[in-house]
Amino acid sequence: MESISEKHVLNGRKQIILIVILTISTFALALFSMGLGSSSQLDMFSTMKIIFDTGQFSCIFEISEVFPCNQDIQSQIVWNLRFPRIMMGMITGVALATAGALMQGCLGNPLVSPLTLGVASGAALGAAFAIVLNLSFIPIPELAIVANAFLFSLIVVAIIIQLGNMRSISAESYILVGIAITFIAGAIVSTMQYFATDAQLSQLAHWSFGSLSRPDLVNTIWIGLVIICLMPIVFIWAWDLNTLSLGGDEFAISTGVEPVTTRRNILIISALMTSIVISFTGLIGFVGLAAPHMSRLLIGNDYRKLIPCSAVFGAFLVVFADTVGRTLFAPIVIPVGIMLSIIGGPFFMYLLLQNRGHAH
Amino acid sequence: MSDVLKVSNLSFSWSDNPVLENIEFSCKWGELIAILGVNGAGKSTLLKCMNKILQPQTGNIEVESKNIDDFSIIELSKSISYVPQSVMTNFSMDVFDVVLLGRRPHISWRISDEDRDKVSKTLQLFDLEDFAFRRFDRLSGGERQRVIIAKAVAQNPSLFLFDEPTSDLDLRNQIEVMKRIRDLVDDKNERKSALVAVHDINLACRFADRILLLHEGKVKAFDTPESVLNEKNIAEVFGVTCTILSATDESPMRVLVGDEIKFHSTSIIKQEE
Repeated sequence: MESISEKHVLNGRKQIILIVILTISTFALALFSMGLGSSSQLDMFSTMKIIFDTGQFSCIFEISEVFPCNQDIQSQIVWNLRFPRIMMGMITGVALATAGALMQGCLGNPLVSPLTLGVASGAALGAAFAIVLNLSFIPIPELAIVANAFLFSLIVVAIIIQLGNMRSISAESYILVGIAITFIAGAIVSTMQYFATDAQLSQLAHWSFGSLSRPDLVNTIWIGLVIICLMPIVFIWAWDLNTLSLGGDEFAISTGVEPVTTRRNILIISALMTSIVISFTGLIGFVGLAAPHMSRLLIGNDYRKLIPCSAVFGAFLVVFADTVGRTLFAPIVIPVGIMLSIIGGPFFMYLLLQNRGHAH
Repeated sequence: MSDVLKVSNLSFSWSDNPVLENIEFSCKWGELIAILGVNGAGKSTLLKCMNKILQPQTGNIEVESKNIDDFSIIELSKSISYVPQSVMTNFSMDVFDVVLLGRRPHISWRISDEDRDKVSKTLQLFDLEDFAFRRFDRLSGGERQRVIIAKAVAQNPSLFLFDEPTSDLDLRNQIEVMKRIRDLVDDKNERKSALVAVHDINLACRFADRILLLHEGKVKAFDTPESVLNEKNIAEVFGVTCTILSATDESPMRVLVGDEIKFHSTSIIKQEE
């Protein structure tokens, strides 16, 4: 009979295998999604031919001296429309799910999400200023909404930093301030909506539904690189998050974790991940709240595994929701934020009811 | 041999409300000190000042002959482990992983076989092997308390701070846990000491080497149970009458609590004298 230590090692390996399977499934889903769309000339087979044709990479990365470049209309659809969209979906899922897991752990509250701290509300306020009042930090019209959303969300990040420098700040205080910011920003946005034109209202509403097709391929790659660079930093806090999530500040201190500074730093990174992504995509909720919980049902609350599992689960959810949204009633595209709530909500409820009374 | 803990002139207050005033005591290596006092006497506050959860306004605290201010939080956690009264959580882990958290001050990232073995042995010590892969949040209050104590032991500190470790336990488990703490302290190979805040005077009599009796935020007495626990001190601090049964070969010293003293106050006790 195996010892307790051996069983612990085996359990850990099983969890890692689960994460690997989930990762492979996510990439398989992404590949499959590339083959789905409203173009009748672009079926799954021809899409796969285009994807695995090395000549296409030379077009994307402009190395046509190495390989011949073939940019027919089908290739352009695949690489300039579908690929950035799906890649952005994965990046969005990774960023928001990771941010959600981090926030739930360091605040010790399972109900928080990346939208809780007020970052999303700040971004929405910035977008509203650009759309309704035509006020932007950057004079380039194409980038006005993105720049405003990002910079206004950075203002919220700055508030979080200031809060974190107060020695007496508690986890609950962050949540309450986030709620306050959400109400204040929401009130200002509502006021602007009241005086906006129909066209501006429509544009603001579409921004708030969320969309993965706004950033082009180059922007998508840059966003992806930033998120990838932030992920290793996040892993450093895995043990700290285990203690903070389990027993709060006193328990953390007794285990060698300094809660105030650690919480502040984790929340700053979470807020940055969130603001980078939603500045481009608009408001995409649900995944930041649900993906960590779904991951916990699979592998428990050890953050060394919860972080990668949440990230992969988040990517899967967003890509899946977006794919269903753009194919179910093609050529009508249902925004990803709406599809996530429609599909994810009942599925999440089902998982919770199944898990009631069972150990994981 | 130097003390594992030395506290002098320690005072703590919440805003303008003094909680502790001029606390002075020390703890030797291999000693178990019980902290007694009524609710609000400052027992938990005193323990929290020992490991930087609370910052006293004045005072000097030395841990292993080094000023506590010279320790970082992670370094201090290698010397001191604090067990709170209760741990309420919105999340959960397996019991094994909770106890493994006690190894956090000693782990950089990967868990070694030594860490796992330490956790396994600790689970065996507290009869928790069958609970190893059960969820922590699905245990009873008493079972969770034993797990948190096990986590503190896995942390391998020099000094344990237990804040009412028996509060959620049944009578049998109260004695079992205090026996385990006593065994830890008595193990000459390990060099451990413990400060234990308790409400049960008789547990303190039975297991403590010395008793720190707090009254209105000050040290009323600090000595052996026989010296500290007399009818006068118990009446003044707890406002009850009692009968002291001295220790015999068969049984430890016991305090039989009588009745509450009506209109209990220090001035009335002095008047009666």
